[in-house]
Amino acid sequence: MTIHLPGDRRHEHLRNFPPPERWDDHVEYDAKAHPRKVERHFMLVPTTCFNCESACGLLAYVDKDDLTVRKVEGNPAHPGSRGRNCAKGPATINQLNDPERILHPLRRTGARGAGEWERVSWDDALDDIAARIRKALDEDRHDEVMYHVGRPGEDGFAERFLAAWGVDGHNTHTNICSAGARLGLGLWGGFDRPSPDHANANVILLLSSHLETGHYFNPHAQRIMEGKLGGAKLIVLDPRMSNTASHADLWIAPWPGSEAAVLLAVAAHLLRERAIDTEYVRRWVNWKVYLRELHPDADVDFEVFLDRLESDYSGYTFAYAAEQARVPEERIAELAAYVAGCDRRLAAHIWRSAAAGNLGGWQVARALWFLVVLTGSLGAEGGTSPNGWNKFIPEGPDMPPGPDRWNEMIWPREYPLSTNEMSFLLPHFLNEGRGRVDTYFSRVWNPVWTCPDGFSWIEALKDEDKVGCHIALTPTWSETAEFADYVLPMGHSTERHDTHSYETHAGTWLGFRQPVGRVAHDKTGRAYTDTRDVNPGEVWEENEFWFELSWRIDPDGSRGIRRYFESPYRPGEKVTVDEYYRWIFENQVPGLPEKAAEQGMSPLAYMRKYGVAEIATGIYRVDEKPLGEADLAGTAADPEGSETAGVLRRPVTLDDRAPLIGEAGAVGVRHDDGTATQGWRTPSRKLELYSPSMRDWGWPEYATPGYIPSHVAYDGIDADAGEMVLVPTFRLPTLIHTRSGNAKYLNEISNTHPLWLNPRDAARAGVGTGDLVRLTTEIGYLVARVWATEGIRPGVCALSHHMGRWRLHEGEGSRWVSGLVEITRPSDGTYLMRYRKHVAPFESADPDSSRINWDDPGVHQNLAFPVHPDPLSGMHCWLQKVSLAPAEPNDRYGDIYVDTNLSRQVYESWQSQTRPTLGPGGQRRPEFMMRPLKPIRRAYRIPSAPTDPPTTPTPPTTPTPTTPGTPTNPETSTSPGTPTSPATPGPRPGGGGAPSFPTTAATPGFPTAPGSPSLGNSGAAATPGTPGPQPRDRGGLPATPSTSATSGPRGFPAPPGPQAGGGGAPGLPTPSPGSPGAAATPGTSGPLPRDGGAFLATPVPQAGSGNPLATPDPQAGGGGAPGLHSASDPRAGGVPSTPGPRAGGGGVPGLRSARHPGAGGVG
Amino acid sequence: MRYGFAIDQRTCIGCHACTVACKTEHEVPVGQFRTWVKYVESGTYPDTTRRFGVMRCNHCTDAPCVKACPTHALFTRDDGIVDFDKDNCIGCKTCMQACPYDAIYIDEETHTAAKCNFCAHRVDAGLEPACVVVCPTHSIWVGDLDDASSGIAGLVRDNPVAVRAPEQDTGPNVFYLGADRAVLDPLEAPADATYIYATPDAQRAATAAEIAAEADGDARLTLNTAHPRPWGWRVWTYMWTKAVGAGALGLAALAGLLGVPLGAAGSVAAPALAVVMTALTALLLVWDLKRPERFLYILLRPNPRSWLMWGSWVLIGFSGVGLALLACGVFDVAGPLTVLRWLALPAAALAAGYTAFLFGQAEGRDLWQSPVLFWHLLAQAATVGGGALLVAAPVLGVPASGERFLTRAFVLAAVANLLVLAIEYAGKHASRSAALAAHMLTRGRYARWFWSAAALTALAAVLAALGWSGTAPVLGLVSGVLAQPALLAYERVFVRAGQDVPLS
Repeated sequence: MTIHLPGDRRHEHLRNFPPPERWDDHVEYDAKAHPRKVERHFMLVPTTCFNCESACGLLAYVDKDDLTVRKVEGNPAHPGSRGRNCAKGPATINQLNDPERILHPLRRTGARGAGEWERVSWDDALDDIAARIRKALDEDRHDEVMYHVGRPGEDGFAERFLAAWGVDGHNTHTNICSAGARLGLGLWGGFDRPSPDHANANVILLLSSHLETGHYFNPHAQRIMEGKLGGAKLIVLDPRMSNTASHADLWIAPWPGSEAAVLLAVAAHLLRERAIDTEYVRRWVNWKVYLRELHPDADVDFEVFLDRLESDYSGYTFAYAAEQARVPEERIAELAAYVAGCDRRLAAHIWRSAAAGNLGGWQVARALWFLVVLTGSLGAEGGTSPNGWNKFIPEGPDMPPGPDRWNEMIWPREYPLSTNEMSFLLPHFLNEGRGRVDTYFSRVWNPVWTCPDGFSWIEALKDEDKVGCHIALTPTWSETAEFADYVLPMGHSTERHDTHSYETHAGTWLGFRQPVGRVAHDKTGRAYTDTRDVNPGEVWEENEFWFELSWRIDPDGSRGIRRYFESPYRPGEKVTVDEYYRWIFENQVPGLPEKAAEQGMSPLAYMRKYGVAEIATGIYRVDEKPLGEADLAGTAADPEGSETAGVLRRPVTLDDRAPLIGEAGAVGVRHDDGTATQGWRTPSRKLELYSPSMRDWGWPEYATPGYIPSHVAYDGIDADAGEMVLVPTFRLPTLIHTRSGNAKYLNEISNTHPLWLNPRDAARAGVGTGDLVRLTTEIGYLVARVWATEGIRPGVCALSHHMGRWRLHEGEGSRWVSGLVEITRPSDGTYLMRYRKHVAPFESADPDSSRINWDDPGVHQNLAFPVHPDPLSGMHCWLQKVSLAPAEPNDRYGDIYVDTNLSRQVYESWQSQTRPTLGPGGQRRPEFMMRPLKPIRRAYRIPSAPTDPPTTPTPPTTPTPTTPGTPTNPETSTSPGTPTSPATPGPRPGGGGAPSFPTTAATPGFPTAPGSPSLGNSGAAATPGTPGPQPRDRGGLPATPSTSATSGPRGFPAPPGPQAGGGGAPGLPTPSPGSPGAAATPGTSGPLPRDGGAFLATPVPQAGSGNPLATPDPQAGGGGAPGLHSASDPRAGGVPSTPGPRAGGGGVPGLRSARHPGAGGVG
Repeated sequence: MRYGFAIDQRTCIGCHACTVACKTEHEVPVGQFRTWVKYVESGTYPDTTRRFGVMRCNHCTDAPCVKACPTHALFTRDDGIVDFDKDNCIGCKTCMQACPYDAIYIDEETHTAAKCNFCAHRVDAGLEPACVVVCPTHSIWVGDLDDASSGIAGLVRDNPVAVRAPEQDTGPNVFYLGADRAVLDPLEAPADATYIYATPDAQRAATAAEIAAEADGDARLTLNTAHPRPWGWRVWTYMWTKAVGAGALGLAALAGLLGVPLGAAGSVAAPALAVVMTALTALLLVWDLKRPERFLYILLRPNPRSWLMWGSWVLIGFSGVGLALLACGVFDVAGPLTVLRWLALPAAALAAGYTAFLFGQAEGRDLWQSPVLFWHLLAQAATVGGGALLVAAPVLGVPASGERFLTRAFVLAAVANLLVLAIEYAGKHASRSAALAAHMLTRGRYARWFWSAAALTALAAVLAALGWSGTAPVLGLVSGVLAQPALLAYERVFVRAGQDVPLS
């Protein structure tokens, strides 16, 4: 019998795929011999694409003559991609046949980065690496072993071997990718990723470009278009006209970073009009906590809550949002009208874009989900679900327990709420002497190219004291592999095993990637030992590599590691990859054994044949899934009146491990009506409009959705001085990071790297299409070529993120895309990278390499960006404030100049905005938040921290009716500030009391928000008291004035300004006056002596006087003093009089103000 | 049965999946495309839009490429698919000129013509074309347009659809839903100085400004592929060599029939010119083939609808007559002269003028579709052929009456030539493409060459006219010399301009 293929389709006489029963011997006529009928016999073997992360299904056409892959199509059995693909799917064949791919293990023979290599056997490499790791483990240097992965391309495997080793060494790329959105979304319900049901939506609201790029672009584009054809309206917010925007019914190009203001204005509209799903909100939003915390004086009554909520957000008027976004008010009203009419079918998506670009970008995602929640679309058909409902991660046999360690190089204390590993700060951490990495695996991870501040990566990777041994696991050369000790060739998507699942729609599936040659060997009875034997050259797959390496680390089993790599079927023997997946498919995948049995197959055989298993369809409202007897057994509900009232838990110990998302032991929530359902994954199992975790981990002013003006907010950009915002992150439909560089059919389509610039900006700068311009960043500059286009809003320029590939040595990079560069050192700490050779035709086994008709390698802009870690989410805030000017006479296209001294200063200034805080019970981080490799609960606690006190937030049953702002909150008594805790890494003693964001403080725009106290930060910023004071929270901690003072000096001791000018190597680009470094500093330091950090966000001119909005606001000014900085200024906070009137009396007790001492205190 | 595509631009997201799937299916060399995605942007921020268009062979019901192909390398199948057989292709590129959709290219690997063939090898196995399978948004529909019950027929029937270049009357079978006019009409969207993520090819960049001047709206082409001119110097040089030979022999034959003595110039030089120039012509033509070793296919696998095929026979016949006349001249045989001269007249006219029919089959080149082209070619041939004999006359000692005949013929031919030019370029053109190409010639990028050619021709005519009575052989010689570069210059820009108007 055959199974239903979700992607099966017929056009009358034609079908899109041969039927599965013919997959073992599909006869096709040779395309090139046509019209002669030359039969070719193929085996069709499914696998999973490994270009972007959508995990679309592929069907490899394996030639039965020689078992090579001839082409790659889609897999119609795949429920997510349904047999279809984007350009990158079929282009996989290019990657397989790339004449430049790495086919054998290589070991460095010269200095790192010198380009000298020798072939080495896998055995030698494995023995050497295993010995290093064994030694590190034996010497209790577990934290020196690090696995750093970019796109994982799999779920759950890496965690296995790391946990088996007892190493908390899982580092990812997520904080240069999606951490912003993850925090914003995770605060609501724990799940950190949206799964919109586009196909059934009425309104599709995208802050992404999912019609042409991004993960899930192919599965999502299919369904977005289905939705549109079904009548859904598409709304896109993007400063740049993406292909997605070009399809929108409404395209709004807000000023970058203002998106939260726009979305909150929509929320305010929904509240005003009561265009909300009140029953949904009543049942699922933690509104009682909201009232208790922000309106302690109010009755605990839902209607009262709605009134207060409406009032709290009333400052977000269309006019205000329009002002922030620099778009016409009517556009925002139009957006609001669409959303209001969505009838519970609002499919929304954000993943990177604004959330990844801006300081406080996580609030954009949070504001977006606010709309989803208010309209009752969250989890509904046609609405937006959390990813967790539509993703399935199976575990292998005998899963090792989580590590009992906490690696502070990856999860540093300054970022208790960082959604993922602080990976892009690694070079700075190493540089600060926080530790070293003895054995460093980079995998699908090219930080030298992808991360900001790549020269700092090069410095770190070249330093053998910092990185003992760097092993690059990669199919192709990359800028990072050039600085490795071992380059070990790993397979492409048809050459390896993984399981992979993604939330492509309202369903769940598990995809299986497999080495198709191996499957073909099996089917034809040909012998092989492992996957290396069926792949090109000695290319291996990681599964077997890690099995083997783990085995060699613990050859006799005495370290307790080997047991996790023993066969579940042959005790004591090394597990084979077949056995590993056989066990998973037999034991972990719901419904799969039955499905396989229906076809008379074993589960493994089923997966080898179809490459995917559909697990569920039509998944909605899982939060309402009732808990059964078994679920409820042994649970008790948290008491009424607590912030987690009704949460049903089982007892847990510190040796337990929490699930990937959620708290250990918690199974659901009992509602007021007595029903018990699964609920969400937050501590309250509700949707947390008010996040106690934010409060408890040091950011009470952001306990609710709000708007944080970006570090590139409009007010901080001096257009007349040539300043602009650079969007360096947008993608093209054909490329994916640096991974698609070896696909000729993609490169021939996309091969130039123009700087998108609105003609108005171009005219102002006196440049036109084709002209070279120099973009000066905080730490250097880059030279790009202009494309004057109406496809981008004025004030913003953009360079796609794919290009700018380079190689230091011939033979160490893909010549399809990279230029040969020379890196010189104009002075200590400075670098100038210049192309010596652009892309050019070359001779190879592939005649196409001599047909290259493009030459532009692009501009490696990321090198010239400093790190911008968002103090909360840890997200690198990608958008850059740049000064744009015509190129200098000696500039050449693609030049990059960087001063890493400056990059260090920028790092320190952002770092100083963090608040190293321990939560209740001395916890490093909220347990419910996602952490890919979750250690056991004990590791979450700092041993020296107090554990007894209020381990659980004490519900402030007694509202603080007192003058709002009186720091009455007792609950955080656990010195959230604990900056003092001995372990606090780094010199951040004052952390706890550290001033709030620079932006917040400095952003003038803020306070002004007419009558909108809540206007976000205004609360925080203007509220002098905000974090600064927090006296109560930080009781006794050095959060007080002195602290600030402390942070003051160190916070900005070295404003880049000076250095920017002076430090700049002679002859180097002096940052233009507008450049943040130079300009901002002086200004900033003026008014904000202590808060130097503020320079990051806003150039002083505005801060001080420029902003018309700011000035008139008396209270903001706080007694004439620029109230802006008050956040960090204890005095400001202390002066209740100033803001008081307005903040309190103004009736605009912003959300945070109420809760916030600042505001409160004012009163 | 009539297979066709319907491409729904309402849902196309410009992702290039179709392009890449096609390339991997057919292993199309880098730089060449059987289907590709075009981007066109218009409007001023914030009212900017970007539109996409999926370009490919239209599998025309009345496919001009199939007609023009001399060797049946292109053919229409019973199911309506316009297919090709690379084993028959000689690489003459006539099909590229015939196609009004820019759909055909010469494969770098095989050096033969290739294009979208509907994945006929897949269709024969019951499978959809690769581009249809891959499309994420199912924006490409395929099926039998003659079957009213088919999905595609319904789609085309129930929705507003458009086709590319309907004025060419080729019966395109690729129907577009929701396509922007500026996407389908290449004259509506000139190339920007750069594309969104690629570079306009040199030819497109060079013509962008002139197209911009003609375009109605503000649409900009922001992504496309390169389609260099198929025909270059060998073709425009061949038009001269052929004209010289044909003109010389034709005039000599005419003189002979009229009893005007031309001496050796008529009996030897003219047929020799005919033979040598035709040989050169053949050489150039074969040289211009991408598969020159297959040149005999033209004769061995002939397509009777192809003027390239007929042209070959014309040249063969013409050179045969020339050779015979040459033999008569050299060996001083008079017997067959009259018959041969009578034969030479139409042979020369056809040799000179068949190119008009060949160019007429170049449906993609509206400039060449001129109804007066045949007469223009005759006038040109008489000009340069007569000019060549005028050059030979003083050397070979042509009698005065002969000199007079040649001079007057030359003057008349040159004047006719100029008159046709005036008619051709001062008048109204049948299509926008033709008008644009004409504009490039008379006022645009080729104006210098064009007017130089015209001026040289006029000068030659005037100089020759000064010796109207045949009394100034030197003037004849000079004007005869001047006429040659004049024609070369003109043919150069005529051939180029015709191909400069973008088709996609």
